[in-house]
Amino acid sequence: MPAPVQTVSELRSLLAARFPERARRPVGGVPAAVRPLDEALGGGLPSGRLTELVSAVPSGGGQTVLAMLLGTTQASRQRIALVDGSDAFAPGAVPEDMLRHLVWVRCRAPEQAFAVADILVRDGNYAVVVLDLRGCAERVLRRVPATTWYRLRRAAEDSSAAILVQTQSPLVPAVASRLILDTPLSLSDAGASRESVAGRLAVRTDRSQAQVPEELAG
Amino acid sequence: MNYAVLWVPGFALHALRRSDPSLRGLAVALVAGDGRKARVTEVSPEAHGVAPGLAATLAMSRCRGIILRQRDPGAESEAHRLLVAAAFTLAPRVESTDSGCCTVDLRGADRPRTEALMRLRAAEFEALGLPLRIGAGATPFLASYAARLAEPVLIVDDTAGFLAPLPLAFASPTPEQEGILQGWGITTLGKLTALAKDDVGRRLGAGGALLWERAAGEATRVLRLVEPARSFAAEWVYEPPVESTEPLFFKLRRFAERIALELLGAGFVADRLSLTLLLEDGTDHRREFRLPEPGADVEGWIRVMGSHLESVRTDARVAGVRLVAAPARPPQRQEGLFDTGLRDPASFWENLARVAAVVGDDRVGTPAPVDTHRPDAFVMGRPAESVTPPAQVPVHPPHGPTLRRFRPPWPVSVACDAGAPVRLEGGRLDGRVRAALGPWRSSGDWWRPEAWAVETWQVELDAGGVYQLACEGGAWSVEGMLD
Repeated sequence: MPAPVQTVSELRSLLAARFPERARRPVGGVPAAVRPLDEALGGGLPSGRLTELVSAVPSGGGQTVLAMLLGTTQASRQRIALVDGSDAFAPGAVPEDMLRHLVWVRCRAPEQAFAVADILVRDGNYAVVVLDLRGCAERVLRRVPATTWYRLRRAAEDSSAAILVQTQSPLVPAVASRLILDTPLSLSDAGASRESVAGRLAVRTDRSQAQVPEELAG
Repeated sequence: MNYAVLWVPGFALHALRRSDPSLRGLAVALVAGDGRKARVTEVSPEAHGVAPGLAATLAMSRCRGIILRQRDPGAESEAHRLLVAAAFTLAPRVESTDSGCCTVDLRGADRPRTEALMRLRAAEFEALGLPLRIGAGATPFLASYAARLAEPVLIVDDTAGFLAPLPLAFASPTPEQEGILQGWGITTLGKLTALAKDDVGRRLGAGGALLWERAAGEATRVLRLVEPARSFAAEWVYEPPVESTEPLFFKLRRFAERIALELLGAGFVADRLSLTLLLEDGTDHRREFRLPEPGADVEGWIRVMGSHLESVRTDARVAGVRLVAAPARPPQRQEGLFDTGLRDPASFWENLARVAAVVGDDRVGTPAPVDTHRPDAFVMGRPAESVTPPAQVPVHPPHGPTLRRFRPPWPVSVACDAGAPVRLEGGRLDGRVRAALGPWRSSGDWWRPEAWAVETWQVELDAGGVYQLACEGGAWSVEGMLD
């Protein structure tokens, strides 16, 4: 019979050996070409993981992140899916060339968005799946059972896609990374290039990947 | 065909026979209870004269040589995992309904492909010693009724015609309800649904109305979904330990059949196989096989492991065996002239069909602008099969924050000073305008009845947030947020 563990670090090692999939680090990532966000995530959206991006203020820059992501995925000839919970994406706001690799799903309700995300995350043909829940009724989102999120998280772990969940307030339980956009853009940004707007976004890290194994361990 | 039910009749007995090769072709019965109270619960076709419910002692006297066995939870668990794995190859939303029974949500699935897959799975299971029956219908209940009558696959399109001749027992009435209905001369589902639902509800209560719905195939329920397999492994402990390779091969083949289906359902193939023989003396013998080509070919796996096992000599008897498959995505091919650029084209198009079944055909696809200056004008097209490289650097690169639209736009009252918005009132947005840019005027289709003209402004509110306003025919609205 193995000797009982004495310290937290021993317990973590034991858990990592017993549940290797929990300690598995994400393999690769998809850069968003938004410097503050990529820096916070250590290079880009991690593949096989959920990342929550909270737009805590109006005009926080969440849609600009999405537009930049469209550009980087197209440059690397990857496919991206946008599960649009409140049907808010404006195709005219990005160059036509950047839409050709996008699969856009215009949902009518959050329930549809979760059902669609569940299908697309498992597909294997997408490098990024964006689940945009901004604009959905907060009381409906709060009623989503935690099991739905865990199911999505586990599906993500089995897939090679990076999953970006866009919300208006922190929502995803035990998410690997949660970033918060809490400084609004202003009208003076209207004349600047989109790259420069993206580079100036204020991104605050609320939770990083390093915290999650600790949560799981204890 | 929204749901399918996969059902193995006599599941416990078939699972036992599948796990024990010595029972093949013999008269076998499962019994429950001990001593004189032991009763037969399931019986193999070879046991003539024996039926479920018979006392075990009577079964032995009626059929000489019959083998009486208790249920084997390990064998049932292994067989049920095989069934769940088969269900996941049909669609990703699967419920493990009961031992030997799964329900699959097929909404959005491609019918010809799914039907062919059902027949293929049923044939494979028959070869594996599990007589799989698959029923499909508009509701989970209807699919379960169909599974009970399937030979081996039954898809119900004409719900009323299918249900009408079925005995009342299919709708699971309570003994009390059954007694009352038989007193009325109602013995089939068709006779029950010929009565008005409200009348049945008034006479039999809420339970009667639910029974009517089940009889009409209208009742539905929420599936309790299960996760697809995440670890592709199997383990068995031999009691007593074994000395030859035959029982090893038998068990490894069973494991391989299940693991290959689980990999298939999760969209993976095996990259490596890890085989561990647990020996009686507490040591083990491990060997990892890197497959020549990643795949889920059971025969190939057996060949790879077999050539090794034939040459293995151990110091002690084998007390257990463990097989683990390392999952990998199907190998990507080099893009050729006729390649689609999709890693898994079949899954891509089928999943899009499933998504369309959830949100509607017109709400999924790749957006493309139409040849007009009218705001928010686009069409949804079929996604391209390959991702083209970026075009040259655009002449007019995008500027500023990106518009996020409110559909439909939010009506708002706008107070103006010298033609420029200074305050928003009365809508979902309210507040003083700190800065405004505009107007941008556009119009079109002036030669048609649907002529349009719109004036657009971008405003920043004191409370924060940059919004796009539109004034059309004197009515203002908030088109969206610059985000």
